[in-house]
Amino acid sequence: METNVSPAAQTDKWEVQLRKGCLEMAILASLWPAKLYGLEMLGLLERNASLVLSAGTVYPLLARLKADGLVESEWVDVDVVHPRKYYSLTPAGRHRAVEMAEVWVRFSAGIGGLLSPVLKEDIA
Amino acid sequence: MTKIDSVESRVESYLDRVRTALHGLPERQIDDIMRELRAHAIELAEGRGVEAALASLGDPVDLAKAYRAESQMVRAECSSSSLRILLGLRHAGRTRAGRFAATVLYVFGYVYVVTLWMVAADKLLFPSRTGLWYVPGDWKSIALRTKRQPPARRTRAVGMVADTGRHSCRLDFAVLDRQRSPVVASPLPPV
Repeated sequence: METNVSPAAQTDKWEVQLRKGCLEMAILASLWPAKLYGLEMLGLLERNASLVLSAGTVYPLLARLKADGLVESEWVDVDVVHPRKYYSLTPAGRHRAVEMAEVWVRFSAGIGGLLSPVLKEDIA
Repeated sequence: MTKIDSVESRVESYLDRVRTALHGLPERQIDDIMRELRAHAIELAEGRGVEAALASLGDPVDLAKAYRAESQMVRAECSSSSLRILLGLRHAGRTRAGRFAATVLYVFGYVYVVTLWMVAADKLLFPSRTGLWYVPGDWKSIALRTKRQPPARRTRAVGMVADTGRHSCRLDFAVLDRQRSPVVASPLPPV
């Protein structure tokens, strides 16, 4: 049993939870400009948000977002071996993305204010 | 065995394990999942090799579990349990159209519940007058009635009459003559 978890391990755990919580928002945001297929989305999130996500997390989540009516999908056959399932935002999905972005901006501005003394102390 | 074959057979055996672990989900949904995972694995295998491609998807049983967990969340929103409907309505209430639909459903639900309670109360007082009535051959005559005679246009109507035994309460189908008390016609199995 873990009785003494090292501070570093606790920070790691916290970071995992934090990333998990942002995943839905990141996926919806990634679809804002254009439709994407799974691999493309994983690459985009890795490049732009340093969100290294496992495909095994993203695909099930996409399936749920689709069932929730936030995204829709269509199969595009590039060639015989490479069919691609493209995802795009539905109007409800765009609405949700805007809502989440607003909450995020308000939240991170508040936290940013709280954190600024912490960061100053650390640098000094 | 050529290299392509071995990539494909590795991917297919992986997918088979996911499919087995997904057993119970709608077949169409499973097929769609398989197609997407296959496309992912094949395309990634071309760049990074099949092992890395399958590693990106993780353990097949864990992957299936993740799909199940997400699909359970959806089912919770679609299932007919009243608590889950309430939760689903709260979720739907986040959009404007959803809020309107939720309000209509709430109002409809309350009216329905109040009506059923009133009918249930009347059933205790007027057991032979209260029930779901209809004139045989005329489906438009179906009505939930209480305290009154069943539909008067024809002399006979069929309704549900409660028969409370010592240990059980069951609903029987009864034929009712306007002037007479109900005659239990063909008993249904206990409800």
